[in-house]
Amino acid sequence: MRTQRIAVMAEMHGRDLLRRRVALALLVVLPLSFYLASSDGGQGAVTLGGVGMAFAAGGASLFCVLSSRNADQRLVLSGYRPFEMMLGRLLFLAPLALLIAAGFSVVMAVGSHPTRPWVMALGVAVVALQSVPFGLAVGSAVPHELEGTLVLIGVVGIQLATRVDTVVSQALPFYGPRELLEASLTRSGAIAQPLLETFVYGTALLIAARLCVWRRLDVARHEVLPAPTIAGALKRAHGPRRRPPVTHLAAPVTSAARLAARDPSPIPRLLGQTPTG
Amino acid sequence: MRSARTSPASKQLVASKICKRFGPTIILDHVDLTVSAGEIVGLTGENGAGKTTLMRICAGLLRADAGAVLLGGRIGYCPQIPGLFDLLTTDDHLVMFGRGAGIGREESIRRGHAILAEFGYPLYEKKTVTMNLSGGTRQKLNLALALLAEPTVLLLDEPYQGFDRGTYVNFWDHCETWRTQGKAVVIVTHMLAELKRVDRVIELAPHPSRVHRWAEA
Repeated sequence: MRTQRIAVMAEMHGRDLLRRRVALALLVVLPLSFYLASSDGGQGAVTLGGVGMAFAAGGASLFCVLSSRNADQRLVLSGYRPFEMMLGRLLFLAPLALLIAAGFSVVMAVGSHPTRPWVMALGVAVVALQSVPFGLAVGSAVPHELEGTLVLIGVVGIQLATRVDTVVSQALPFYGPRELLEASLTRSGAIAQPLLETFVYGTALLIAARLCVWRRLDVARHEVLPAPTIAGALKRAHGPRRRPPVTHLAAPVTSAARLAARDPSPIPRLLGQTPTG
Repeated sequence: MRSARTSPASKQLVASKICKRFGPTIILDHVDLTVSAGEIVGLTGENGAGKTTLMRICAGLLRADAGAVLLGGRIGYCPQIPGLFDLLTTDDHLVMFGRGAGIGREESIRRGHAILAEFGYPLYEKKTVTMNLSGGTRQKLNLALALLAEPTVLLLDEPYQGFDRGTYVNFWDHCETWRTQGKAVVIVTHMLAELKRVDRVIELAPHPSRVHRWAEA
């Protein structure tokens, strides 16, 4: 049952995104345009391509969370667990990001002639995969679209703007993938270390997303009353109708606003006009 | 404050001494609400009195600062603003919400269509994405999602917004049906002319501290 809920969640997010044809096209065009914007085709272009990939996959994940925010709590009320909803999104977004990354890797391999093409493909795939938990975490943490977009632009932009050996760069989520991309252009760049860093960072992002989702989608599970005997209630329901009693749950008669307006409580007045039969 | 005069065994929703404040503003102060099987309760009050807050607390979507809620069965909540996915169709919504309640794909669609047909939903639009539906049609879907899992407690927060006249009358006829089925129904409403169709009316007035502040302003 849990897997079915996760699968349905993934399916519906897939349907939602596939109907956004322009957004889908932009997911492909964005990393490509970042890459092609760099004229040298070397390290700068590879880094820019990675940034474009991060924007595309991260943006898709971010808006996947934010666009369903109005329905999320109701879905939890209907029986979903927040963790299942997050996994469902991950199940759809991660393969989508990998699909885009696969095509993009081919373009980059042809354009940049890396020393180790498979490391470049791995780097692009890792950027794409890292972007998904990053987008999910940001989308779950921020209150609105604008804040989420600014965080995405800020983090990815700083990652691009800072030199790779700075502390700031190393503290950001795309440090490992960037190292991998740059290692693909040389014969000796490390692979295992950046992969491990990315895995640890990605796991931390997923945990952060899980905590934020859990906090935001908290639904109280009320205690259950003893099993009701509805026979009496049904009998009463079919009995003669009478004017419904009116209960005031606070003190409307002493309401200062009404007294000031010299307006009596509207409910008894209007009830008096209705047939009671 | 008072509770319903009903036998304890038939109670389906018991909210007792519910308190809620947002920052310094007291919204609910020791509010009690009891609804029994086969009973329809109309919840009225001025804007900002706390009707939606009370409904959300009863549904579990909001935590009360104090007090307790006890339920007799599955809850169905129809929010005032439909929380729908703009680019999913009616059937997509039925499948998605049905699966949450453990209902299979085919059964969700069958049940959903039956409910929607009762409210005059144009079923030829079942493949139309919800952002292209009219406000009233979206509201019908919103209501259908609340009813899909056959809840025993129905919390309806102004569920008829955007309904045409026929559907509106039909909605109140359905309330009678739900009563005979033994459901406990709470309807937030400002339609005072229809209050004759409910068993009890509860007016939720703004907390006195807020009333005094408005008067001073």
